[in-house]
Amino acid sequence: MKPNVKPEMDHDAIDRILVAEEELIPSSGFLAATMERVREEAARPKPIPFPWMRALPGIVLAAAVLGWGGFELARTGVTAARGFSFTQAELAAAGRALEPAGWVALALVASLLSWLYSRRMAGRSGLL
Amino acid sequence: MQPGSAGNGLTGSRGALFEMHAANSAAEDLADVERVLAGEVQTFEGIVRRWQGPLVNMAWRYCRDRGRAEEMAQEAFLRAWRGLEGWRRDSSFSTWLFALAANVFRSELQRFPAVNVPLEDVAEPAGPATQHDGLAERQSDEAVRRAVMALPTRYREPVVLYYFHEMDVAAASRTMGLPEGTVKARLARGREMLRQRFPHLGEQSTSRLSSTLRPQKEVPQ
Repeated sequence: MKPNVKPEMDHDAIDRILVAEEELIPSSGFLAATMERVREEAARPKPIPFPWMRALPGIVLAAAVLGWGGFELARTGVTAARGFSFTQAELAAAGRALEPAGWVALALVASLLSWLYSRRMAGRSGLL
Repeated sequence: MQPGSAGNGLTGSRGALFEMHAANSAAEDLADVERVLAGEVQTFEGIVRRWQGPLVNMAWRYCRDRGRAEEMAQEAFLRAWRGLEGWRRDSSFSTWLFALAANVFRSELQRFPAVNVPLEDVAEPAGPATQHDGLAERQSDEAVRRAVMALPTRYREPVVLYYFHEMDVAAASRTMGLPEGTVKARLARGREMLRQRFPHLGEQSTSRLSSTLRPQKEVPQ
């Protein structure tokens, strides 16, 4: 039987060498060892699935409360803001006051990204 | 047969053997999978028995370490066992199994890379004058195979799978889960890097190709 050689490829000594790799015969204990691990795996109790159906009402309720809270906060803020009029100096002062909060928010975001990255790396290394 | 031993033409039937596996065992694979999913754990042995050769050989091409190849192949079988329900019957069992195994081998080698030397440090084989010497030729061939391991990952895997699948780009792309065009491009680049590393192999190709490539494949096992 001829190899499945594609006509569009040119074939040279590198092809000859790499296609003619020798067949490796699995060791005599390979089948038994693999089946042993499969049986161990089969004997192990299956992980308990997360009870989504039970948790669903709670998740929906929590989402609704958070959504409502956010909406109310925004609505109150907009209403309150309409009652104020700021001068340029007041706006500049408010900006200066908010600057530390911005830095804190930036630090929190950096921490979150760092945590996510470390989790990802740990997951790749098999620690998680 | 030991992986490092001499080439003797026996390998010519490897690809044919794998193809035969896929064609002849499709019904058996399907029946075994159904029985395993019905709870007959022992039936999985049939699947391991049929596919242990191809998977160990595929793993060997990824790492060129016999012990590790068997460990990786075993891990692939375990993942197959766990994910058997995930095999959609729209592709053959072998296609699914090879793709799963490639993922396992790739992630295993990301966690613990095989010990590779840089491509430029791989010893260049002796020139054409010594090519009639069997030992020199085997060493030369082994140097080329080791050089594959020194290729950058994105080019190494297409090269490994292309030759594992007996130079079938479509099969390699199915195993990698990438479009054929992408695999072809990476394969061309990988082969080009090998040719640059071993320039004299290109010179030999015209004189040796006709007498080495096809006749070797015809030698019965």
